[in-house]
Amino acid sequence: MTDALRLPPDLLDDQLPRVLGEALTGLYTGEPRLPARVGGRTAGLAALHAWTGEGYAGRNFLSGNVSRLSMYLRHGMLGLREVAAHARAVMRGRERDEFLRQLTWAEFYRLVLRQEGARVLGNLEDPKYPARWTDTLPDDVREARTGLPCADAWVTHLVRDGWLHNHERLWFAAYLVHWRGVDWRSGYALFREHLLDGDIANNALSWQWVASTFSNKPYFMNQENIDRYSGGRWCRTCRAECPFRASYGELETQLFGTRP
Amino acid sequence: MTAAQARRVVWIHGDSLSVTDPALSACPDAPALFVFDRPFLQAVPVAFPRLAFMYQGVRDLAAHRPGLTEIRVGAVPDELAAFAAAHHAAELHVTRNFTPDFARIVDGLRAARPDLRIIIHEPERLTSFDGPLRRFFGFWKKVEREVLHGEPAPDFPRRGHR
Ligand SMILES: Cc1cc2nc3c(=O)[nH]c(=O)nc-3n(C[C@H](O)[C@H](O)[C@H](O)COP(=O)(O)OP(=O)(O)OC[C@H]3O[C@@H](n4cnc5c(N)ncnc54)[C@H](O)[C@@H]3O)c2cc1C
Repeated sequence: MTDALRLPPDLLDDQLPRVLGEALTGLYTGEPRLPARVGGRTAGLAALHAWTGEGYAGRNFLSGNVSRLSMYLRHGMLGLREVAAHARAVMRGRERDEFLRQLTWAEFYRLVLRQEGARVLGNLEDPKYPARWTDTLPDDVREARTGLPCADAWVTHLVRDGWLHNHERLWFAAYLVHWRGVDWRSGYALFREHLLDGDIANNALSWQWVASTFSNKPYFMNQENIDRYSGGRWCRTCRAECPFRASYGELETQLFGTRP
Repeated sequence: MTAAQARRVVWIHGDSLSVTDPALSACPDAPALFVFDRPFLQAVPVAFPRLAFMYQGVRDLAAHRPGLTEIRVGAVPDELAAFAAAHHAAELHVTRNFTPDFARIVDGLRAARPDLRIIIHEPERLTSFDGPLRRFFGFWKKVEREVLHGEPAPDFPRRGHR
């Protein structure tokens, strides 16, 4: 016999935080509360069918129409094939191709995980600049009180929604690794804790792509980029000393040193 | 239910939370088990909403399949071994994923129950590419046609489906 606890498979959402919360005491962080989106294939299919992909060309804007299907794909509630088939049926032209290309990143990362196994949890390559990273996630970052309205919002969104737009993930990762000098694994762990779509392949390998341990150069942004793709959301009223306000050339020298 | 089916159980894990999962579709009537992995969750911080999202996934598939679906909290290999024993199962079916945890659990189960046949179903793939990988761009060039048009490029061998 085992000392297992059994849970009925038909708890209603109203009962979920209390009953599941008790069954999993000591096994989770934060408050027991429902996820921002309902889990399960039925909900995933409804989200897929409701998504037309119209405007996906603007996917890099926070206001862009991205599918938000990643949490369903991650848990196998939807399959990559059926999402691709849906896109081929309802989308047109370059938008369709662009979406299918993004979807293919997920397949690529799964296959890299198959190829590399647990190695994806360490640097796959040397960083492409003289990096000296610390291991610990700074408290002000975790607690969303860096004083930078944008960076604080990225963490707040992550914790509140369990989902972040790809550009917010990229900005946050670049900020943490390049500006704060933190090892990507701490960011990976924070994402794994909160993302509904958090997995080993996409999460670790995307962090490595930003950090330049699985790419040819580090990813970074400047203030202009944040301002543009967020529609001025934070920059318009920001009074903080902005660490991102410089040209790409200046930031490159400041963050990575002069490169050969 | 045939005798052969009565002797199978299915392991449902966090990457296979759908009735369309290959292992579940291969054994629609077999008892299936999902385990919240206690040692893993004790070691690795995960916020509650994610666990609730997974619960909802199991609940949804339990409502859509004829077989029994159980949810437990414990050590996965131990629970799978006990579940298989309770159902007098000779076979356990599961869909592969590529995480190190999957391999660890399968090894643990093999050690605990050497007599239990573990049948591993291959997960669905978007492409048929099977070569070595390095950068996305090179990969994309190889699979572009297949992904965009839903059919493999002519010079690509089709993957065998089992
Ligand atoms: C630091 C960092 C960490 C990330 N961690 C994860 C993670 O843990 N899990 C995860 O699923 N994605 C992760 N991503 C990739 C990407 O941000 C999300 O997949 C995407 O934002 C999900 O939103 P969507 O479903 O609306 O995407 P859409 O734009 O609608 O794309 C559809 C699907 O394609 C796939 N996809 C799209 N873009 C990417 C990408 N850049 N890389 C990989 N797959 C992609 C996803 O499966 C996505 O659901 C990460 C990105 C970064 C920069």
